[in-house]
Formats: sequence, structure tokens, C-alpha cells
Amino acid sequence: MTSAPYGWAPASAARAALSNEFGLVALIALFGAWFALATPGFASSFNLFTLGRIAAIDIMIGFSMMVVIVSGGLNLSVGAIGVCSAMAFGWLSQRFGLPLPLTIPAALAFGAALGAVNGQLIVRSGLHSFIITLATMSVFFGLMVFITRAEAFRSLPSQVLAFGRLRYFGYVSPLIFVSAAVGLLLAALYRLTPVGREMLAAGANPAAAELSGVRVGRTFVFCHMLSGALAGVAALMSIARTGAAIPSMAGDLGQDWLLPAFLGPVLGGTLLSGGRVSVAGAFLGSALVSELTNGLLQFRVGEFWLQTYLGLMLLAAVLLDLARRKLVARLGASP
Amino acid sequence: MPRKLISLLAVAAVALAAAGTTAEATDATRVALVPGGPHPYFSAWEKAGEDAKKDFNLGAADYRVPQKWELNQQNSLLESLLSQGYNAFLVFPGDPVGSNATVQELTENGAPVIATAGCLKEPTTALFCFGTDTGNSAYLGTKQLIKAMGGKGRIAHFTGFLVDPNTQLRIDAVEKAAKETNGAVSVVQVIADIDAPEPAEEKINAFLAAHANDIDGIVTTAWVPAVVAANALRRIGDKRIRMVGIDHDEVVLKAIKDGFVDGTMLQNPYGQGYIGSYALDRIRKGCKVKQDAPFKAIALTNRFIDSGTVYADKGAVDNYVGSMQAITKQIFGGFEKTYLDCP
Amino acid sequence: MKLFALPRADWFGPLAIVLFACAVITAFAPSFLSPFNIQILLLAASVNVVVAMSQMIIIAIGQMNLAIGAIGGLAAVSFAGLMQVWSFPPPLAALSALGLGAAAGLLNGALIARTGVSAFVITLASLSIFKGADLGITRAQPFYNIPASVKAFGNATMLGPIPWLALPAALVVAGMWRLLYRQKVGRFILAVGGNANAAELSGVSIERATLWAHGLSGFLAALAGIMLVGRLQLGQPSIGDDWLILSFAAPVIGGAVLSGGHVSVFGTLLGVVIVAIITQALVIFRIDPFFVQVVLGLLILWTVGVNRIREVRLSGVRA
Repeated sequence: MTSAPYGWAPASAARAALSNEFGLVALIALFGAWFALATPGFASSFNLFTLGRIAAIDIMIGFSMMVVIVSGGLNLSVGAIGVCSAMAFGWLSQRFGLPLPLTIPAALAFGAALGAVNGQLIVRSGLHSFIITLATMSVFFGLMVFITRAEAFRSLPSQVLAFGRLRYFGYVSPLIFVSAAVGLLLAALYRLTPVGREMLAAGANPAAAELSGVRVGRTFVFCHMLSGALAGVAALMSIARTGAAIPSMAGDLGQDWLLPAFLGPVLGGTLLSGGRVSVAGAFLGSALVSELTNGLLQFRVGEFWLQTYLGLMLLAAVLLDLARRKLVARLGASP
Repeated sequence: MPRKLISLLAVAAVALAAAGTTAEATDATRVALVPGGPHPYFSAWEKAGEDAKKDFNLGAADYRVPQKWELNQQNSLLESLLSQGYNAFLVFPGDPVGSNATVQELTENGAPVIATAGCLKEPTTALFCFGTDTGNSAYLGTKQLIKAMGGKGRIAHFTGFLVDPNTQLRIDAVEKAAKETNGAVSVVQVIADIDAPEPAEEKINAFLAAHANDIDGIVTTAWVPAVVAANALRRIGDKRIRMVGIDHDEVVLKAIKDGFVDGTMLQNPYGQGYIGSYALDRIRKGCKVKQDAPFKAIALTNRFIDSGTVYADKGAVDNYVGSMQAITKQIFGGFEKTYLDCP
Repeated sequence: MKLFALPRADWFGPLAIVLFACAVITAFAPSFLSPFNIQILLLAASVNVVVAMSQMIIIAIGQMNLAIGAIGGLAAVSFAGLMQVWSFPPPLAALSALGLGAAAGLLNGALIARTGVSAFVITLASLSIFKGADLGITRAQPFYNIPASVKAFGNATMLGPIPWLALPAALVVAGMWRLLYRQKVGRFILAVGGNANAAELSGVSIERATLWAHGLSGFLAALAGIMLVGRLQLGQPSIGDDWLILSFAAPVIGGAVLSGGHVSVFGTLLGVVIVAIITQALVIFRIDPFFVQVVLGLLILWTVGVNRIREVRLSGVRA
């Protein structure tokens, strides 16, 4: 990071960044057209509706990981925190009958609190976020399962499921608007607010940021709190889809969220080294992955090989991004 | 990458062609048999679907499995299958309530759904639930175990996934059978969520290593624990501990013949798939479910049809296929008359 | 003074814990040390120690390998599939599966070394690729026809309560110790893990060390998969799904430093034993088995904390 402070990109690098997002849009459009022409069901209103719903959840999961990657770290416990938030929501709604305006913020606050635990452990111990969140993933999930005895909460307020089933013009799920709105807020955070800029600075070069007055430790904790809250949002969206809060919703230990959590941001150009973010890229990246998964299923291309394709896509994306950055560097602009 | 692109294009071309041909037969019933996840119990559904397609001239009766035992995976698969043109569904619910939302979406789009081998919680838009009365099966199995134990002793109960709607029914049923002995028999341990080889092996082995002398009987109400427990008893050479298993895995059947296991509660996955496909086809051809049909009422639903269960001990093991086929034939014979109103 | 140095050894703490735990548990449940129970413990630990070693060597080089479970699963179903579908004799099938694992590991290593992309991302991608292949080949159904000899090897005992499975495990531990402390390659791996730049300046090829480490890791993951096929008596596609936490917990408990350069073979072995004992103890005391996850996670947090304190005190500087 030489002439480009924080995430502000000078004109030439902006062009490069733009090309990544533009590339994603082009891919989404191309694949979409191909799937629509080649399969009878892809372009049906029902399929696009369910695709949009799933994509919205994956996008949110991607955001939840993105805000931690920005700080140069990892959060393996996104799934675990998400499920804990969901179960907290279920518990408050079903056991105490509290209304939505109370339970939703409470669940998100709980997610943020768990994120804060992660953040504090990481900052205080100085250890890599990988091992800390690997451990907390186990602890959070295990405690949740132990407390709830792995029972699901199935008597939730009907508005929750109703929201998930809403369908505008037959094609669009309101969940997409939620993800888009959160995306806009995040973009504003990083572009316009001092907190956001501090996050980028601390992620890019913690030592330099500390010297220039940024409270790096506190900033990292904020990143993890934000990640926890966003994981909670994703989990609530997932509940809206099924109408029940189920402990296995994100797989064992919440592991099932790991791949979508990384795919979106990495495809979208958020560097794992931190300090650089592309909210639009993460949005488009997750959307592309959801679209490809849906389309491949339509082709009946052995649903079991799906993971292989996703892994190959991740690999291709990372290598292409590497090549792109090398090219940009050679052209003289800062990466 | 290019090679993948070419193969994808090839698949697309085939799909286009296939889409062309299926477009002509849009009225044919295309059944999708969808379990909750990969599991040996449902492999009978695949054959059942093939036979049903042949016997009833269906457009399709395909066995499609979600990648793992996870509700969101199953829901995504169901949604995709609807978009792919399937118009009738036999579904094992990934969750008795959580699956209802997706089932409702299927029925709203004109596809009849039968909950199979596991029930959805009412209210549900599924036509009815067709499966083993798992509570009753577990109850009968436990009673057989108690008989084999001589009417007294301590029982360990190994059962299936906690997300399986049947698990709690089974736990309650075993408890009920034990209670009826007025204290002579007690359930000292329930180990659930072990319907997969590794957790089953780990937990059952650990349990037997620690507590083999503290129990007199084992009842297993899920496929994998039955296999693992049978193997474990064989490995430690134990014939003192009585055991009643479930389903028809080769390992369990052989253990019954060799005396390590007393018997097994057979279920009827083939019958569920075969008769279920038939029923869906009749529904699509205009039949309606009789409101006053002689449904059974169980914990989750009032519209339950029993697909049959039978206890097979040493004598009956060799002909278990015959027993199940007899039950299937019997149910099939009277099905339409008993449960459907047809034009 | 020498005695005071003893607690500094990585394996001292874990050994103390193991002895203490055994004493406490046996006091409450004498069946804990029964031959059958020891056999069960050894069966579990034998496979887990190979898994732990597979990750340990990657920790030694300062990286992380998320794909060991996927490689293990793929090797396991390949082993079972070759025997069932193509009637390979067990030794040939095993060699093929081991070769597959090594090749998968080398692929990871090559990608990491050549592209400079972080091991985390590369192994996350390869995890999906191999897992997908595993599921695609098997359609999530296990291979049931395992030859009797393989089943016997996975379950029968060799000497008293000691199962045959303990033999490959012991060989792996001994081999790993020799590799890291007596062979050049092992020292190169540790050097690169400790300080890659300094190692490179003194002539160590980072690329070769990376290839060796990942190749070995893949080989060991495949070995663990094969051993599990014998023990479970079927070729189960979900083998490896739950290896991630364990593969890190044991080396960490054994004193490994995650940034690389310092691992303890015996410490890792004791870490595996501790995990096995805890799992068993929870069953014996009828504590909810769900609690295992919590305990594992807390154990990791505690030991990395303790290791960190030791590290700081030893170096005398706030790192």
C-alpha cells in the first residue's frame, strides 16, 4: 500500500477495481442467459424467487466474514454465532412470547456479544484469529447444543415465516432487499465514516495505524462484533425461510457456512491480507455462486459434485485475482 | 477450464434435447422421492421408484438425495426439483415443522406431497403421512426385548438423529414399554443422534466398554446404531446382553442367525416408495383423499397411514423379504378403496 | 537445575494431565483401566494420532491444512471402492489410496509454493474439491463390502488389549520423530516454519520444504482414512468430516506454536490421548456427550493461552 491510503483508490486502481465488479456482473448475466435458454426451469418465476432468497442469505453470510477479513483476520465461528443468535431468538420468542421488535435486536445483540468475545480473546492474547475462532466455534456451538438439548424452536411468530414467503411480482423476495440494504450500509461505513476507515487502516497495517492514532485493538473488536451481528442477521433470514429455529441449520459446529462465507468476499476482491474491501464485489460474488449452484442443479449435474465445482471456482477466482493484481502492478498502478 | 466448459455445453445440449422430449409429456406424473439425507434405509426407495414407474406408466419416479442431513439442503433440492418439472413428491421431512414451509410452496404450485417414513406436524398441506408407526414399532420391539430378558433388567436405548421427527416418538415409546413393567425393567441410558457410522461407533463402543456389566438389554431404533451394536456384541463375544434391532441390514440379520441379536423390527421402505408413487399418480389423475378415511392418529398428525412393521426373529429372518412383500401387497390391494375417492 | 528444566519440556504438562486424569477417573470407575476399555481407547487414539500428525507437520512449517479431512475421506472411499468394485487385493488398494493422498497433498503444496496464495485459501478450495469428489464417486452411500482381513486389522488385538491398529500409529509417531529431529528434510521444514526468510538465506528451499510437508500430510491423512475403513468396517464417505478441530487440538495441547517452527511429537501424542480420555470419561460419567465440543474448544483456548505465556516468558520480550 504505497500511494493509496486506506481503501481510497486513485483513478487507475479504481479502474482495476471496477473491472472486477464489472467482470462479476458480466459473468452473472452470461450464466443467467445460458441457464435460462438451456433449461426449462431456471427462468421460471418460482426458481428465480427461491434463488433470490438463497442468494440473499449467502450474501449476508459473506458480509459477516468480509468485515473480519478486512481487519486481516478470519472468523471461523460465523456459523456457530449465527446459530446461537437464531436459537436465542427462538428461545425469547417461544419461551417468553416477546414481540419481534424486542427479539430481533436482542438476537443481533447476542451475536455481537459473541463476536466481542472473539475480538477480546484475539486482541488480548495476540494469537491468530484462526485458532481462537476455531476454538470458540466449538465452545459456542457446544454450549448452545448443551443448553437447548438440540431441540428446535418450532412455534415462532407467524410473521417470521410470512416474511420469508413474501413474493413481489412473483419473482423477488424481500430478503434480497435486506441484503442490499445492509450492503449499502456497509459500503457507507467503509467510505464515509471514521470507524470504517479505521478498520481498513488497522487491517492494512496495524503498526502504522497504531502510530497514527488508531486504537487498533478496539477496532478489531468492533470488526468481530459487526461480524457476529451480521451472522445473526443471516441466521434470522434463514429462519424466515423455514419458520423454525433448528440447531443443525448451519451444519455441525456451523461448518456449512464456511465455504459460502469465504467464496463471496474472495471472488469479490476483498484481500485476505486485509485493508481492502469491496462490498459490491462480495455481494456479486455470493450472488454468482448461488446462481451457479442453482443452475448446475437444474442441469442435474450430479448434485454431489457441486462442492467440487465450488472449490474449483474458488481456486480459479483466487488465481485469476492474483494474475490480475500482478498485471495491474506491472502497469504501474498500486494494487 | 476449457474442458469443463465443453462438457458443460455438452450437458446443456443434452438437457435441451431432454427438455424438448419431456415437454410433450407434460401431463405425466413425475415423482421425486426425496429423503432427508444420505442413509441406507432409503436405498429401497430407488428400486421402489423404478418399479412404480414401470408398473404404473409414470413419467418419472426418481430417487434424489440431498448432499447431507441438513434442512436447507433438502429445501433447496425440493425447490430445484419443482423447477425441474417434477410434479409429485414423496418427502421424508428434514424437520417436522421446518419442512412445512417448503412443502406448502410445492403444493401451492400444484404438486401433491406425501410425507413418507416421517411425518410433518399439523397443520400441513401434505396429503397425509405414510410410514412406519415408529412409536408403535419401538414399543413392540421393546416388549420383545423385555420378553427375551425374562421380564426384568436394565435397558440401553440407541436411537437416531435428533432432527428426525421419529426419534422423540421412539424414545417415548421405549420408555412407555419399560414403565408398563412397574419397575422391573428400566431404561438406564438413551444415546441419540448416532445414526451415522463414526459417532455410533465411538459412543456405542465407549458405552459398552464402560457399562457392559450394568445393562441386560439393548434396543436400537435406528439403522446405523443397530448395525454397530450388533457388531460390538459380536466383537466382545457377548450373548448375555439381549438385543432387538431395527431394519434389515445384512449385519443385523446375520447377527440374529448367529445368536448375538434376538430379533429386528422390520420397516417397509420399499412399500412406502412403491405405494406412495402409486397414490400420487392417482391423486394427479383426479382422485381425492377421503375425508373420513380410517387414518391413524399419532403424535404429529391425524392423517397417518401405517406402512407396516413386523418383528423378525431367528426363525423369520431368512424370509424377511417375503414378509415385507406380503405386507406391501396387502396394503396396496385395499389402498385405493380405503383412502381415495376416485372419479 | 535439571529437574526445573523438565517442566519446560512440551510433553511434561500433557503427561501430568494424562496421569492425573487416569488416576481420578479410575478412582471413580475402576472399569476405566479394564483391558476392553484400554482396547477401545487405543482404537480411537490410533487413528486420531495419525490425523494429528498429518496436521502437525503443516503447523511445523507455519501453515494450516484444512483439507486433511477431505483427503482422508477421499482416500478411504477409494480404498474401499478399489476393493469392492475392481477387486483389488487390500495391500494394492491401500498403496493406491496412500498414493492418492500423497498426490493430493503435493497438489496443495505445489499450489501454495508456486502461487504464493495463503495455505488457508488453497486448502479451503481443495477441501471442497476433494470432498465433492468423495461424495460424487459414492453418491453419499458407503461401500459395504470390506474384506474380512481389513476388518480384522481394524478391530482385532495383537497383544493383550493392544489392537493391530496401534502398530501403524506407533510407526507414524516414531517416523515423525525421526524425520523432524534427525533428517534434513524435517529440519528444513522446521526452519522454514520458524523463519522463512532466514531459512531461505541459509540455502533452504522453501518450495521443497512445502512440497515435502504437504505431501506427507496428505499421505498421513490417507493412512488415517484407510485405518478408519478397517475400524468402521465400511467405506464411509463422511470420514474426515469431524477431523478439523481434533487435528489442531492435539498438536496445540502438545505445545505446537501455530506460527511454525516448533512442534512436539510426543506432546501431540499425549494430546491425542488426553482427548480420547476426556471423550471416554464423559461417557463413563454419563455427562451429556454434547459437552465434548465445549471441552475441546476450552482446552484449545487454555493451552494456546498457556503456550503463549510460556513463549512470552521464554523470549522475555512482549511479542
